[in-house]
Amino acid sequence: MRKYAIVFLCFFLFAFVIKESLFTVPEYFPIPVYDFSKNPLTENKILLGRTLFYEPMLSKNNTISCESCHSPFSAFTHIDHTLSHGIHDSIGTRNSPALMNLAWQKYFMWDGAVNNLDMQALAPISHPSEMGSSINEVVEKLNTSEKYRKLFYKAYGDNTATGEKTLKAISQFMLTLVSANSKYDKVMRRESNFTEQEANGYLLFKNNCASCHTEPLFTNGNFENNGLPMDLLLEDIGRMKVTSNKNDSLKFKVPSLRNIEYSYPYMHDGRFKKLSEVLNHYTNGIQPSKTLATQLKHGIQLSSNEKVDIITFLLTLSDNEFVFNPKFQYPK
Amino acid sequence: MHLFFLNSFCQKSESVNISFDVVFKNNPIVLHDSTYNSNDGNSIKFETLKFYISNIQLFQNEAAVYTEQNSFHLIDVSDTSSQNIFLKLTNGISFNKIKFNLGIDSITNVAGAMGGDLDPTKGMYWTWQSGYINFKMEGICNTCTDSKKNFVFHLGGYQYPFNPLQKVELKTTVNSFKIILDLNKFFTAVDLKKQKHIMSPCADAVILSQQLAKCFSIK
Repeated sequence: MRKYAIVFLCFFLFAFVIKESLFTVPEYFPIPVYDFSKNPLTENKILLGRTLFYEPMLSKNNTISCESCHSPFSAFTHIDHTLSHGIHDSIGTRNSPALMNLAWQKYFMWDGAVNNLDMQALAPISHPSEMGSSINEVVEKLNTSEKYRKLFYKAYGDNTATGEKTLKAISQFMLTLVSANSKYDKVMRRESNFTEQEANGYLLFKNNCASCHTEPLFTNGNFENNGLPMDLLLEDIGRMKVTSNKNDSLKFKVPSLRNIEYSYPYMHDGRFKKLSEVLNHYTNGIQPSKTLATQLKHGIQLSSNEKVDIITFLLTLSDNEFVFNPKFQYPK
Repeated sequence: MHLFFLNSFCQKSESVNISFDVVFKNNPIVLHDSTYNSNDGNSIKFETLKFYISNIQLFQNEAAVYTEQNSFHLIDVSDTSSQNIFLKLTNGISFNKIKFNLGIDSITNVAGAMGGDLDPTKGMYWTWQSGYINFKMEGICNTCTDSKKNFVFHLGGYQYPFNPLQKVELKTTVNSFKIILDLNKFFTAVDLKKQKHIMSPCADAVILSQQLAKCFSIK
């Protein structure tokens, strides 16, 4: 029995060391949600996933890749427009989210319609306003490409693409997009110090924002109604679309605030261009409704100096190394 | 007593062959061309017809004597090979019941990408909202009221209160048998004038799945 325990322990440590080189959990982060045992990371699978992430063949007419709406320099989102653009210049109904720390995320999409990172890519691939294709069509194209047959062989020991292998490889790359090297992180690791203004902003943040934008991921992973008046053209009811539950009306997933400096515009429909507009919404713009987050029932009280301090703190969440990490860029 | 003993002794089997026959009354369903008439005046053509059978178990009275591992089968009327299931039993066992699920359980629904019959290229996974389609049936009906006269039933989902997964239980003691799905019973129970398009998890998807579960029999 003991012998087995030791063998098991060795195996576990070995697995951990291998995994650590490709994916490290910062010590002040929680345990990841993603089940790595079902999709163990390897360098070749990550490379395949990274190549697929930048691959326009994923769209019907080979024009749109994941990167089209999720560019590394903007923390893997798109910053030029409020709503995402897709195939044939079509415009979607929501603002593409920034991609980072996805291993800790339980639900995907603004309304949580996708329940597992593996299945996320199916949505944009199939959406007529995004990539307008299907996973079948994508797999068929990959299987006729010499380049991908080689990449699949290296990754899986078999040159045939399948839906499962394609999606899991994309997951592998996305899982490596860990952002934990901002000034905030360095302060947490005692490698740096906040300025007086940043420290004051941090305190204000903890008192006014952190119940939803909870450290260290800067989201509690829940769905909340933050009091935005409904856009009458989009009529987006948020989470209720998925659950058909009236109590979920106008609730959207709380986004992480990491790299927020790079990932404007803000909100599910990209209605705010600047952080000051976001803070003004929380102090003056809250629309009362039955499903409004309880923390916002009376709005948030902040002076204009306090707002500036909070923004100064939010800028410490910018992770330059993440945005410019060569491992995340187009694979040459 | 003696006869009962002999009977159960004879039925000990090392393997089980199951074939799924999807029929309308007594006629096997052929996609695209054939027309089927229901008792209440619908004439129906089928374009797509596929569904998941999962978690196959054999029972001797109330005790499970065999549980198939990794038990997920996509039965597709357009692919005859998909309609045969072979169970390799480790020991000769006796059984008098088979149980299976019509659809995919909730744990599998949230478990990420999978291969084989569960691969998303099989066209049985929703893209805009995660979850398997348990039962997919599309076709044309003379009484459908829209211009294309089509019906589309994509019955699936896994989240409370709209989990349409159904348990089916049938009696059998032999090691080679047919499981019949007679859709005449389904179309007799469904009013196609009212219900013809279901493409998301909802209360009606649950009700229709319950109807389908009642259409299985053994031969």
